Amino acid sequence: MMHFDPMVPFKYWDALLIGLWMSLRLTLICLALGIALGFLTSQARRSRFMPLRALATFYVELFRGTPVLIQLFWIFYCLPLLLGFEPGNFASAVVALTLYAGAITSETFRASLKSIPREQYDTCRALGITGMSLALWVVLPQALLRAIPTLLSNAVALFKESALISAVGMADLMFIGSSISNRTGRPVEMLTAIAVIYFAVAFPLTRIVGRVEARILRRLAV
Amino acid sequence: MAQDKLLKIHNLHKSYGDLEIFKGLTLSMDRGDRLVIIGPSGGGKSTLLRIVMGLEDIVGGDIYMDGKPYILRDGAKTKIDRKLQARVGMVFQHYTLFPHLDILRNLTLAPVKTRGMSRAEAEEKAMGLLTRFGLDAKAHAYPSQLSGGQKQRVAIARALMLDPDLLLFDEVTSALDPELVAEVEAVMMELAEAGMPMMIVTHDMHFARNIASRVVFAAGGVVVEDGPPEQVLDAPQVARTREFVERVFAKKR
Amino acid sequence: MSYDLQFFYVWQNLDKLGQGLVVSLELTGLANLIGLTLGFGVALLLRAKSALLRAPAAAMVEVFRCTPVLVQVVWFFYCVPILFNLFIDPMVMGVLALGVNLAAFNAEGYRAAIQSVPREQYDACAALGLTGWTRIRHVILPHALRAALPVLMTNGITIFQQSALVALVAIPDLMYAGKMLATETYRPIETYTVVAAIYFAISAPVSLIVQRIEARFDRVQA
Repeated sequence: MMHFDPMVPFKYWDALLIGLWMSLRLTLICLALGIALGFLTSQARRSRFMPLRALATFYVELFRGTPVLIQLFWIFYCLPLLLGFEPGNFASAVVALTLYAGAITSETFRASLKSIPREQYDTCRALGITGMSLALWVVLPQALLRAIPTLLSNAVALFKESALISAVGMADLMFIGSSISNRTGRPVEMLTAIAVIYFAVAFPLTRIVGRVEARILRRLAV
Repeated sequence: MAQDKLLKIHNLHKSYGDLEIFKGLTLSMDRGDRLVIIGPSGGGKSTLLRIVMGLEDIVGGDIYMDGKPYILRDGAKTKIDRKLQARVGMVFQHYTLFPHLDILRNLTLAPVKTRGMSRAEAEEKAMGLLTRFGLDAKAHAYPSQLSGGQKQRVAIARALMLDPDLLLFDEVTSALDPELVAEVEAVMMELAEAGMPMMIVTHDMHFARNIASRVVFAAGGVVVEDGPPEQVLDAPQVARTREFVERVFAKKR
Repeated sequence: MSYDLQFFYVWQNLDKLGQGLVVSLELTGLANLIGLTLGFGVALLLRAKSALLRAPAAAMVEVFRCTPVLVQVVWFFYCVPILFNLFIDPMVMGVLALGVNLAAFNAEGYRAAIQSVPREQYDACAALGLTGWTRIRHVILPHALRAALPVLMTNGITIFQQSALVALVAIPDLMYAGKMLATETYRPIETYTVVAAIYFAISAPVSLIVQRIEARFDRVQA
């Protein structure tokens, strides 16, 4: 019978914390950049200029239709060539996860724009609210409000996907945890500890999503 | 130009694909008129209001306001005079308030953003209207915190903020619980007494009789009968109207 | 850009990628088999009256939804053999890891779909004297399955993409074959481009079908 020592992970708490910080930092940076990219992409997909629309659609479908792992590998090898210099692992990881986040976020904005009832547009025309006023004061605030719960879910998804950067040698929670696991020969304790830490961050966030969603839906129920 | 009609709809044609809604509908109204439009469902009553509001393309015909061309069919396009459109207001069945804005901002958004009214002036005017409709306490509430009847009164106040010369009401009480209908109808009666020209689509025949100066029965894409409520509702001259009115009143009892 | 793309080596070794693709498709197919069946069972547990049944099902769903798939896969590979003192074929392990993950996501899809059946349908069944299995078989299930279909398909194709993770534990799938080829030929960009294209070529049609189905449902409801 194996002997388990649940205290093992606690001996390495400082290293794990550094790893978690890397995971969180990467998630937050890519989330912020991804939201901006996603909003621009969602607008590009509504553009009247066909090539722009096609390009935006291709980008979204490509990043939603391939494994994030291969996106990561591809960008790690391609970016230095495209840029002409070695941008470093962190920058490459940021680019890769931002492109992925932008693709899923653009879908979020597309859905939230679509969910604004047609009657809102009729009303605005009846009130003479058109063009920029319509976009700025009626459409954008409602689209943003409706997008918030999904944006939070995207944040959770991105946090989970960020574990992949361990595969390209970035010292995130997954990488540090599994290195310790290999070195100490304590996979059960260490890998479970990693899972628990990811869970401890992601689970409360998913609970908040439900709460926020209910509140927003109540506000928008007219 | 005093004798020019407020609104003159001439030979209106409208269709959705193969479905013909209007086949040469002609109708006019004076400044003092409160028109109630009745007719079978699917007969295009709401579509007529949406056309007058400038929300729909037309297939043929023209609409004049004060003798000036308002909506015309010009070649393949429907041409709408935006200046005249701004003189028409509309209240919808589902209130369609802006859910992200409080009641006061619902009222002030259009005048401030599109008419160049100052915020202070717009708020003063809005508070005046809200007080008149007994809603001043709700100025900083959000639409989701109001009852259906309150929302619809806010929607009417919002339309009045732009001082329309003609107000359109599209089944404004149909989505309401029966006990909330009266408060909305009372506001409309008050506007009627103040001389506001209105065009109303409603299923409530008793309300129609009370508020209308004229009742228009539209069916089959044209106006079948047009006259004072005592005529159209109580003693219709045309067989088709009689049949419809009898059926509707029979259902009520 | 001075890099000169050469796809020659990739074309020459396309059969290796083909073998990897077969493994990826096997993994996906079997994982879906588990996901669709086990997921339905878990969904029923989620709706059970007894909290004793509900709690473990809910815990399973949350654990799999709130931790990275990579952590789950690695955990399965290292910890299951130790914990249960059992060494099974890596392929079986991969299927199990992906299948149970998919089951958790599908359970949530099934649950939401069952919940989306309007209360009035239950009332109507009661009024018509339809109860028990007849009610489930002829009213609730058709309704729920239709609502669940797009989610189940999306989850199913997502697991195809997630299956790329098993390459990291040395199962010879498409991603693994790609990694090998990239190292052998020193042509990572060309190799990963082709591998990404293969993943995309299989995912894209499925997501297109899902979009069609959703558009049809939207129309029917409107």
